[in-house]
Amino acid sequence: MQTDPTEKRLRALMLASLDGDAAAYRSLLTELGRHLRPYFTRRLTPAFASHAEDLVQDTLLAIHTRRMTYDRSRPFTAWLHAVAHHKFVDHVRRQSIRLTVPLEDDAPIFAHDDSADAIARRDLNAVLEAVPPRTSDLIRRTRVDGASVAEAAAAHGMTETAAKVSIHRGLKSLAARFAGGRNDR
Amino acid sequence: MTDELIARLSSNLNRVPPQALQNRLWIAVGIGLSAALLLAYPVLHLLLDRPMGATWGGMMFWVKAGYTIAFGLLGCAALPVLARPDGRILWPMASAAILLLASLTLGTMSWMTTDWSMSELMGATSMVCPWLIVLTSTPILAAMLVALRAMAPRSSTMAGFAAGLLAGGFGAAIYSFYCGETGMMFMAVWYSLGVAATAALGALLGRPLLRW
Repeated sequence: MQTDPTEKRLRALMLASLDGDAAAYRSLLTELGRHLRPYFTRRLTPAFASHAEDLVQDTLLAIHTRRMTYDRSRPFTAWLHAVAHHKFVDHVRRQSIRLTVPLEDDAPIFAHDDSADAIARRDLNAVLEAVPPRTSDLIRRTRVDGASVAEAAAAHGMTETAAKVSIHRGLKSLAARFAGGRNDR
Repeated sequence: MTDELIARLSSNLNRVPPQALQNRLWIAVGIGLSAALLLAYPVLHLLLDRPMGATWGGMMFWVKAGYTIAFGLLGCAALPVLARPDGRILWPMASAAILLLASLTLGTMSWMTTDWSMSELMGATSMVCPWLIVLTSTPILAAMLVALRAMAPRSSTMAGFAAGLLAGGFGAAIYSFYCGETGMMFMAVWYSLGVAATAALGALLGRPLLRW
């Protein structure tokens, strides 16, 4: 009736399991776990990918407690798919009820504003003009763009130590100039 | 975690005989029918003063018995399929609808021959008949729902509906032993309403109870 080798193998394991063969059952569940994990991960959005393991366990448990509902004359993979699909739909439905997002997590939509970013960038450019161009570029690379000191030093053909000193001096002079005199002595 | 679960599940594995699902369902039908038969006599005959066997042997007695048992059997056909996660079946529901239409047609025709007399439609017990059918069916419905809770229906509502159809059909057949009505139109309207109400109750209860 079925020629698909996966179906054939799994069905044979399932029939043996129904007859009480614990070893066959164990290898069946292990193999199903391996198939189910990517099945659920693919269907969940990345934010919920961590739920895949729960779903695998839910499904294995359902396979165990509801194995009576497998009709021996029908394809096993169809039954398995129906169980997994049911568990997935059930999970998503329950999540959508429970996942009313907490209020503090709801705020960041408005906390971040692109136009405020633009103003900050303009201020930064004005401030960095107060130090020599090489120093300002080193500061920009390491403190704004997130490059390492070694990368920034390599870009200017200088040693790491020299770059560190240059950045330190530049920041110090900027602090002295813009911190309202708190730092100068 | 998952490996632990697999080890635990495979360590206490019991044999599941072929036809285990059907056997469970038919045992539940047997238990429910016995309970309904046992309870019907004291409740309907003694408590509610509805003598048993008022219409026994008459033509209408057999029509009523056949009509209601047919619904019960259609429920029996649907339930083993609907109790499975991959089960789809439509013909028992379609047949039940056709049966209902046929009885309403025959009922209307026989009502016509009585010149639309109100007593043919209403009888003497039309206001209690559907309720008593639901009451008589309750033990059967309960037994079916308990059995189904161990299964895995694709749709809990549909499985509950089929359980209600089965219970309502057989319950109405038991009720007909205690019913003195002989009108065809009476049966087509009020018996059907009782069976339908039981099926609806099954769907309503099944939705939360048969979740898995």
